[in-house]
Amino acid sequence: MRVPLIGSLLKQRHARTLFQIPIFIISVAMIVHGLFGPQLAPKNLATTFTWVHFRGALVLVLLFAGNFFCFACPFMLVRNFARKFVRPVRNWPRRLRNKWLSIALFVAMLFVYEWLDLWASPWWTAWLIITYFAGALVIDSIFKHATFCKFVCPIGQFNFVASTASPLEVAVRDHDVCNQCVTKDCIRGVREPAAPLVVIQRGCELALYQPRKTGNLDCNFCLDCVQACPYDNVGIMSRVPAAELTTDPMRSGIGFLSKRKDLAALVIVFTFGALLNAFGMVSPVYALEQWIANALGISYELPVLAFVFALFLVVEPVLLIGVAAWLTRVWGGSRKPLLSIAVRYSYSLAPLGFGIWLAHFGFHFLTGLYTIIPVTQSAFGLGEARWGMPGLAPNVVQLFEFGFIGLGLLGSVLVSYAIAAVEEVRPVRVFIVWAALSLIIAAGAFWLMSQPMEMRAVAFASG
Amino acid sequence: MCLLCLFLAGFISCRNQSPSGFTVTAEITPQPARVGQATIALRVTGASGKPVTGARVALEGNMSHAGMAPVFADAAEFEPGRYRANMELSMAGDWIILVHVTLPGGEKVERQFEVKGVAPA
Repeated sequence: MRVPLIGSLLKQRHARTLFQIPIFIISVAMIVHGLFGPQLAPKNLATTFTWVHFRGALVLVLLFAGNFFCFACPFMLVRNFARKFVRPVRNWPRRLRNKWLSIALFVAMLFVYEWLDLWASPWWTAWLIITYFAGALVIDSIFKHATFCKFVCPIGQFNFVASTASPLEVAVRDHDVCNQCVTKDCIRGVREPAAPLVVIQRGCELALYQPRKTGNLDCNFCLDCVQACPYDNVGIMSRVPAAELTTDPMRSGIGFLSKRKDLAALVIVFTFGALLNAFGMVSPVYALEQWIANALGISYELPVLAFVFALFLVVEPVLLIGVAAWLTRVWGGSRKPLLSIAVRYSYSLAPLGFGIWLAHFGFHFLTGLYTIIPVTQSAFGLGEARWGMPGLAPNVVQLFEFGFIGLGLLGSVLVSYAIAAVEEVRPVRVFIVWAALSLIIAAGAFWLMSQPMEMRAVAFASG
Repeated sequence: MCLLCLFLAGFISCRNQSPSGFTVTAEITPQPARVGQATIALRVTGASGKPVTGARVALEGNMSHAGMAPVFADAAEFEPGRYRANMELSMAGDWIILVHVTLPGGEKVERQFEVKGVAPA
């Protein structure tokens, strides 16, 4: 926040809106073009921006900075506008105040992506964007605070987990200043002095009380706390990426990581979902689907796809993490229950999962980098579109892919070591177990990224 | 708002380019198609079913996923109304081939067909 120009820009009260408006305009253009434009994915704004540029830019910004895509979220622009007219009065139901619903939506999103071949369908992609806008609008018009961001939005959950590996976080500059503070504006908001019930600047809507906030989980970088703090004591700080996963303090708005089974499940789905999503784009997936279809005597894609999802997101993680947790007990000497071990060490997989997403999305982004130019030209009628220059050569980009996975592997190995060093009596043995698990997953990712790409709408001949 | 108007204007002008009544039928060899060179033979007929001769026919192959490198080829007329091109299908999966036809009078027609499930080499 003290960087010249950028810092002073971000400190402005309407800085977020300034970034949200252009993204909102682009989103509207994508919806219109997706619904009414050419239904050929490479020639349409909705599919090209969403599946090539948005996803790629998202993970790269998360890698090099932080959760700035939630900061510029266009859904929140519409929601904030609606809240000028509709004041939500309800609280989100207590039993839903966790990540289980958003995990289900995240899995549903991955499933629909494969089932409806969203990457090939401008029309469905446009409807996906509309659904996000409608979801944010409806949920946050009924329920108070940032319910949609914290408990519902699948993109938000993706960003929360990925941003644990980001180098920036919103944090307190000097805790002594917070100790002296009596108004707690960062969480309560700035109130009208004459009318204490009137909030003139929101505090954190995600229930993250700055002095007790640790890391990026659940932080959407809205900077409300920065605006609200009367002492200019909250800012965007640099830090060691993924270090927040190595410790387990009581976190404001989250609690203890070791007690959050839902958050651990989110990290597991994030990591194994990265493998699954990449697997859907390479040749062996069709052989597997055909084999499953033949073995089960099924000729429809839906149940076969459900089987593949169950294999990747349930059977594979349960087996791998289950064996690792069991070895932690019998060989590593841990006395904790199996489930507690599995929960605690699952967080160590987040950097690797992020590395695999980076490799996958980075591939599409870098190999299709320049397609943004002819697609925009074509959509807006801006002269003769030149379609021949997609981006960097795939063999060059493959080096980046391997680098991202390697970086993620390194992060996961270091996090598992740091956890074991603090919590285990035989830390080296426990570290070996969880490092081996990361290595197995990374080997799978390296293998996937080496496979020839094959993007088909129909996996096999249906009956 | 200005950007959106420009966008809609551009979009409408793009959609009104193609006259109707022209038919393009395509055959691709080898069958089934594999990654590598494919030969695409086209029959172009006008509204009356008469072969369209002397046209300039250019092909543009796109993957079903956005962001992939398109491939291009020019087709040569080898019989009246029949055109042939060699195209390098660079990747396995579903392809959509756009056929850009420029008629002798300068009028432009665009048609497309799909080549599904191009197998790895």
